[in-house]
Amino acid sequence: MILLLWAPKLYALTPVYNLDEETNIYQPVADIRVTTEEGGIYLSEIYSGRPIILTLVYTRCAGVCNPLLMRLKENIELIDPKREFTILVLSFDPLDTLEDMQGMAKRFTLDEDPRWEFAVSREIDKLNRSIGFNPVRAGAKRQFDHEALLIGINRNGLITKKLIGLRNEAALGAMIVEINDVFVPSYPLPDNKRSFSCFNYDPATGKNSPGWGLLVLSLPATLTLLLVLVIGINSNHEHH
Amino acid sequence: MMERTTLARTTSIWIIAILLLFILSVVLGIIMRLSQGGVISQSPVVFYSQMTTHGFTMIGIWFVAGMVGVNYLMQRYVSAPVKSNIFALLFTIIGVVLLWVTTFVGKFHTGWTFLYPLPFKIAWAGWATPLFFVSLTILGVGWLVWSVSLLMAIFKKYSITRALAWQHFGKNPSFETPPFILITVITLIGVITCLLAAVLLIVLFFAEYFSSGTFVNDPLLMKNLTYFFGHTIANEMLYLGLATLYELFPEVSGRPKWKTTWYVALAWNCTLVFILTAFFHHMYMDFVQPESFQIVGQVASYLASLPAAVVTVFSVLTLIYRNSIRWSLTNVLYFMGVAGWVIGGLGAVIDATITNNLVLHNTLWVPAHFHTYNAMGNVLFSLAFFNWAANRFAGIGESGGANRLKIALLLVGGTGFLLMFYLGGAYSIPRRFNIYPMEFSLAASFARIAAVFAAVYLAAVLIFFWDILRKCLKLLTYSR
Amino acid sequence: MSDKHEFILVLFLLLAALVAIVFVYVYLSSGAKSSQKEDGKGLNNTQRFWFFLLLTAALFIFASFTIPKSPYYLFEKESPSRVVFVAAQQYYWALSSEAIGPGNPGAGEAIELKRGELVEFRVTSLDVNHGFGIYDESNNLIAQTQAMPGYVNRLRWKFEKPGTYKVLCLEFCGLAHAVMRASFTVR
Repeated sequence: MILLLWAPKLYALTPVYNLDEETNIYQPVADIRVTTEEGGIYLSEIYSGRPIILTLVYTRCAGVCNPLLMRLKENIELIDPKREFTILVLSFDPLDTLEDMQGMAKRFTLDEDPRWEFAVSREIDKLNRSIGFNPVRAGAKRQFDHEALLIGINRNGLITKKLIGLRNEAALGAMIVEINDVFVPSYPLPDNKRSFSCFNYDPATGKNSPGWGLLVLSLPATLTLLLVLVIGINSNHEHH
Repeated sequence: MMERTTLARTTSIWIIAILLLFILSVVLGIIMRLSQGGVISQSPVVFYSQMTTHGFTMIGIWFVAGMVGVNYLMQRYVSAPVKSNIFALLFTIIGVVLLWVTTFVGKFHTGWTFLYPLPFKIAWAGWATPLFFVSLTILGVGWLVWSVSLLMAIFKKYSITRALAWQHFGKNPSFETPPFILITVITLIGVITCLLAAVLLIVLFFAEYFSSGTFVNDPLLMKNLTYFFGHTIANEMLYLGLATLYELFPEVSGRPKWKTTWYVALAWNCTLVFILTAFFHHMYMDFVQPESFQIVGQVASYLASLPAAVVTVFSVLTLIYRNSIRWSLTNVLYFMGVAGWVIGGLGAVIDATITNNLVLHNTLWVPAHFHTYNAMGNVLFSLAFFNWAANRFAGIGESGGANRLKIALLLVGGTGFLLMFYLGGAYSIPRRFNIYPMEFSLAASFARIAAVFAAVYLAAVLIFFWDILRKCLKLLTYSR
Repeated sequence: MSDKHEFILVLFLLLAALVAIVFVYVYLSSGAKSSQKEDGKGLNNTQRFWFFLLLTAALFIFASFTIPKSPYYLFEKESPSRVVFVAAQQYYWALSSEAIGPGNPGAGEAIELKRGELVEFRVTSLDVNHGFGIYDESNNLIAQTQAMPGYVNRLRWKFEKPGTYKVLCLEFCGLAHAVMRASFTVR
């Protein structure tokens, strides 16, 4: 008892929640002109057909760009194929050419996939301002210091979801739902420290896959059931 | 016969302790209403420490009150446990004392919900948080042992299926499960479940507390567990009271005992299932909870109380209607308690409807309805049992005396006090405010009026206490 | 008192009075002339069963009628024209048109909404649970959602009446719970 009362220092009592993903929500994305394999096209021409998952990378990136694309490619495979979207991989490095980007598409074997578009643009600064993306040149090695960023754009050209960092398919699913204008009344903040989350909400299918937390929540009833069975079966019944 | 005497003695000690704590908690409630009414001035810390104490103590004592009644009456059917009863009495006393120390000395004030992570945002003595969880652990262990031992006692005589009266679903059952046994078993299973939820909750709190930041809980899971425990125990304690009603009401009224029929069995078995998901209605305004849970919450809230209520109300009303009844304080209290339970239940069903909850949640409507089925429902069930038991302990019949006065004070005090809560809820006045913002011009007046009516209610309780205390002491001092 | 609150209160009081009348009536019927029915049963089992079924059906109809109006489905087909970010902390509300974070603490910003526009409140907490309750000028609670740490709850609402709206805390959050407040205007 005394040991219990010996209060340890309470760490992590002011958790820092990352609220960066909340910026620019429902703001219009700059309608810039991009160049893809098929030629010049305005973003509005793309998103008015299908909502966009916009990914900003550059081909010489020695950092997060390749893992980001790899993770995105893997996660897309896990998403319900009925949902509509276009993944626009856009270079934010003015030095990148369309050929560089096409090479990148080939490396990831995404050049044949109709859902993926690789593009460059001369109006990248205008776009960056509208989405709150601030890559910073780092040193002489033509590298940028930048976030792994996915921007979800709905059919009206509004930013409806942002994902920062390498995220799982549930987060990506949430984005695909948001860009298709499906209202989900709540979402978790990016914070993977929590133990026993109740529900891994999979908005792509609109279903909750039970998390460890749900198991914890069903534990009392399960244990009671077992207890009742054990007591009941082991008791000597005096009745006839 | 020795054992029965021990049980009677233990029961009478319980009754005295419960009523003492009840009086103190009602006084705390009146002080809070006076403070909200601006009659007295208290610091927020003092106010919220009282609020925390009031909530925990009330839930605790009326839960054990139900258990005491069930344990005592159980000896009519099975060999009733005594050791675990005494064990629970000791643990309850220790737990309550420690709890009061954390709130009154340590100034711990999270409210009875202690929603994660509030207990870790220490605005009180540093030792109060761990001591609080220690006190909860002690109460939890005592009650868990007690509930399990009661269940074991029943299962020694009745098999699981018979205890749950499943044979009544078939045609011409050869064996009749007494309603008291059926309701007790259904309720005890629910009690054990919610106590286990409390154990898990406490374990998770301790895990984070001692993990130095490596283990962080999910607030959503913790909130679910909190209400799983809190809502369910508040609901089950009412059913413990009902079990004693099923046993005593016909007997005291001079009518034949109720029989378990297929629909009675079905109603209570339904209750067992639905009651475990009804707590979701506490989280309607947590939009993060999946919508399916919210809908289950609304449907289960309707169904958790409906079968039990309909069956009980029918049974009680038809037993009385145009029959000659031997009215006494005991069955009048039971009868009024059923009415209070039903009226509180109506307030609850209104609030358990999601669209209403949007404008009622955490307003005074919430304390309004749960005070109705506690102060004018469950408390009356337990007072009925206390009154019946005290008369038995003292070896006397039903006494007349101040009965009419007691009933009148209870009715007037209770109704007035509750009406102020309902009005407050309808005026959107938030609950758990130590002072009311100026905008709520009527709030302070409601609080003052409520304090007056609550004092009337308290007067009735004091008369009850005096009467019951004398009778219980007769037993306790006899042969010593 | 808003119309909705008034309706709820009147409905409750009527039902409560009905219950009280039935109980008093039954109480008064007892004793006097003694038993006409020896078994003490007013309704037989089949009648009870039908009554119960009727009550359950009524509640189910009520549920299926009210559930679609739950706040989780409010304005779900529309795209909001305004977002208000809400971050609760012991003991204040930060409301901002921009996301709240280290760069934008969100304090002191005057929020002005247009009448009839669809607003989405994105509500979270930076410490403990709080309750985001919106009160109109006549101090009626019109909508709410909980502020839970680690999650963002989205409440969509259209304000039809211009005026100053208050935000009060509707989940006990500590000693200054009652004075935790904010406001915004609708024009």
